[in-house]
Amino acid sequence: MDKLTPEAIDRIFKQNRQQSANWIKVGMSTCGIAAGADEVYATLVEEIKKRNIQVTVKKCGCLGMCHAEPLVEVCVDGMPTVIYGRVNKEIAVKILDKHVNSKALLNDYIFDLETK
Amino acid sequence: MFKKTILLKDTSFSPEDKTRDVFTRCLDYLREKQLEQDIQVVRVADSGVYGQGLVMKVLPDATLYVNLKDEDVTRVIDAAAQNKTIEGLALKKAPKQIRIVLRNCGKIDPESLEEYIATGGYVGLKKALLELTPDKVIEEMKKAGLRGRGGAGYPTWMKWKFARQVVADQKFVICNADEGDPGAYMDRSVLEGDPHSVIEGLIIAAYAVGASKGYFYIRAEYPLAVERIQKAIDQANAAGLLGKNILGSAFSLDLEIRLGAGAFVCGEETALIASIEGRRGTPRPRPPYPSVKGLWDKPTVINNVETLSNVSFILLKGSEQFASIGTEKSKGTKVFAVTGKVKNSGLVEVPMGITLREIVYDIGGGTISGKAVKAVQTGGPSGGVIPVDALDTQVDYENLQKLGSIMGSGGMIVMDEEDCMVDIAKFYLGFCVDESCGKCAPCRIGGYQMLEVLKRVANGQAKLEDMTVLRRISQAMQKASLCGLGQTAANPVLSTMKYFESEYKQHIENKKCPAGKCSALSNYAIIQEKCKRCSLCQKNCPVEAIPGSREDGFTIVQEKCIKCGRCLEVCKFKAVSKT
Amino acid sequence: MEQKISIEIKNLVDKWKSKEGNLIMILHEIQNHHGYVPRELSLELSQMLDVPLARIYEVITFYNFFKLTPPGKHKIAVCMGTACYLKGGQDLINEVKNILHIEPGQTTKDGQYYLDMVRCLGCCGLAPVMMIDEKVYGKVKKSEIMDILSKHGSTD
Repeated sequence: MDKLTPEAIDRIFKQNRQQSANWIKVGMSTCGIAAGADEVYATLVEEIKKRNIQVTVKKCGCLGMCHAEPLVEVCVDGMPTVIYGRVNKEIAVKILDKHVNSKALLNDYIFDLETK
Repeated sequence: MFKKTILLKDTSFSPEDKTRDVFTRCLDYLREKQLEQDIQVVRVADSGVYGQGLVMKVLPDATLYVNLKDEDVTRVIDAAAQNKTIEGLALKKAPKQIRIVLRNCGKIDPESLEEYIATGGYVGLKKALLELTPDKVIEEMKKAGLRGRGGAGYPTWMKWKFARQVVADQKFVICNADEGDPGAYMDRSVLEGDPHSVIEGLIIAAYAVGASKGYFYIRAEYPLAVERIQKAIDQANAAGLLGKNILGSAFSLDLEIRLGAGAFVCGEETALIASIEGRRGTPRPRPPYPSVKGLWDKPTVINNVETLSNVSFILLKGSEQFASIGTEKSKGTKVFAVTGKVKNSGLVEVPMGITLREIVYDIGGGTISGKAVKAVQTGGPSGGVIPVDALDTQVDYENLQKLGSIMGSGGMIVMDEEDCMVDIAKFYLGFCVDESCGKCAPCRIGGYQMLEVLKRVANGQAKLEDMTVLRRISQAMQKASLCGLGQTAANPVLSTMKYFESEYKQHIENKKCPAGKCSALSNYAIIQEKCKRCSLCQKNCPVEAIPGSREDGFTIVQEKCIKCGRCLEVCKFKAVSKT
Repeated sequence: MEQKISIEIKNLVDKWKSKEGNLIMILHEIQNHHGYVPRELSLELSQMLDVPLARIYEVITFYNFFKLTPPGKHKIAVCMGTACYLKGGQDLINEVKNILHIEPGQTTKDGQYYLDMVRCLGCCGLAPVMMIDEKVYGKVKKSEIMDILSKHGSTD
């Protein structure tokens, strides 16, 4: 990486604020991994490739809802951003088929977290 | 594409969950009104509110309706379809959680510097280096009212100022990431989820005090955190955010990781310094304080992970915004690791001044079992137990101290009726005895003796005078111990004796453990009416204390029984009772 | 053998030479590599760093993390942090003890398992927790321990 200038910091800060994207985030802290997040992540990456879906999968830290790990946050066009909890391989596939492709939320797995 | 999404959940504690019935009715209604293309209704696993009956939340406006009656359901759908809110029914509620320290955790890729900068990362550092003098930075911290999040709540700006005032050829800053409180893991989460926010805080601290070298002291038990911090340090070095002439300024800083090696006492500042110096982590008397004479006798500022994450936030958003949150003396937020018997165990970040009840019930969702909360323990082995009648206390440093506990690093353990207070006191004290470094006698000997007394209480062999003994040793430890570990080790014992004296007396006078936890005081017996005479208990009893036969039935001989509980576990017919 | 030790220690000492207070970090590297700190290496280290062996042992024995004997092939760590304790961590330890016939801090006779009691793995939300090698198991039930252990090796 090149050395950052003060101007570069401002530029990255301002640029990225307007960015919207299709993404799926998987919580990959110690607790998430212990609950099986690595398996969920691998499944998502593999199935997205297989289905040729335009969505990026990202590894993230911990949202704090340890009781509901592994957590997967999904943001795709035209859908509210939601967090699914206690996700396993099967549910990960369902998220892709139903939520991402058919644009319908999955029942019984959403954890609604209220923060400011 | 749906115009509205409605989240649905029955949050009453009753076993008959109405969610599915209501969901079917919603679908029927949507079909009837031909709204299926516009509105989707979805059952959620958790709506973030608890004990509020039927809950519906309309997205994207996030209008929340609680305690809905059956007839309200269609009204909510109608209102959503017409893009309206039903006044009087909608709940106006500010979110209980405010995220400062956890602002990026779970939101950004912790291994991407660019994503951190995109959230405003290093903007605060840039401002500090290029626009503010070190004194101005300290002034900002003072205005923000930030106090150390590692335990005692010492004002951060004062620590910095003391170290700044000392004239020395070299000064150090240290990030204390030796999170040792068993039951607190917010530091690990921040290190793993947002490492740059802590590094930025540490660079700002170094600039303010004039340090040229910094250390991360991290538990070796957190390999992922170590890996992420190392990666982040490497990125910052490559980007010119660390090293010589940071961002073109005259300020230079070098950062390095040092690993802890499993010693709780190293959370104490002077012990931590000894450990970084490569020695046994034993504390030394203070003063001189580390801000005057610390690492290799140089002025040293030690801040904890959560504190430093707050620092980078304050420089980014300004001290005013930070100081607008919290109470008069305790500003900002606190992250708690809420665990134990609570339904939603996890990390919560709440403004100072929130009540314990709000944390346990409104965010934590009450107990898993639905049983009543008995007590809440804060502050780990140095803290105390807070009884249920004090749950309406507002959380801040002073209030918790008044209750005989401390804020500590933010462990919050919820206990229900099945938890025995003598057992809890024994657990924490056992921890401190294990972790005592042995340097000073009050802690080394006092802790051990108290533990022996507590063991007697738990075994039903104590006398009432033993409670006086516990109080006297506690006092000696509080007054004469060398460091915080010994001074506070008695807190769990004192607070349980204060609020649950009758429970101690039950153990001592009646030889009974009301919670049924202390195994030496429990009696196992076979309930003859339920017993199917399968002989499984007899086969599993390690001391042959269950004579009898499949024809004549079985009994437990109390004199032989060692209360191991094996019979209770193996019985398939719940025919073994424990009293 | 002796030469190998010398080279290994020399490399480590060279790497850390310029840093003050390097002893603990060097010990970490040795333990990472060997699973414990062998006495021969401590001796060698004492000569190279020119510090008395007693000073090195003083540090090793102070910190729980450092071991002086080779651990078993698989390390079982049962968490006894507060949350795990409340939710039955002690029962898990007892069960492992029953199955493997070892106490915490001991290795099975066949050298397969080493049992350790640890303070908080930082997964309190998943309590009770145990870890075998690098794999963390959450919400463990006593009845599951046999299965978990057999995934990692023989339990005879």
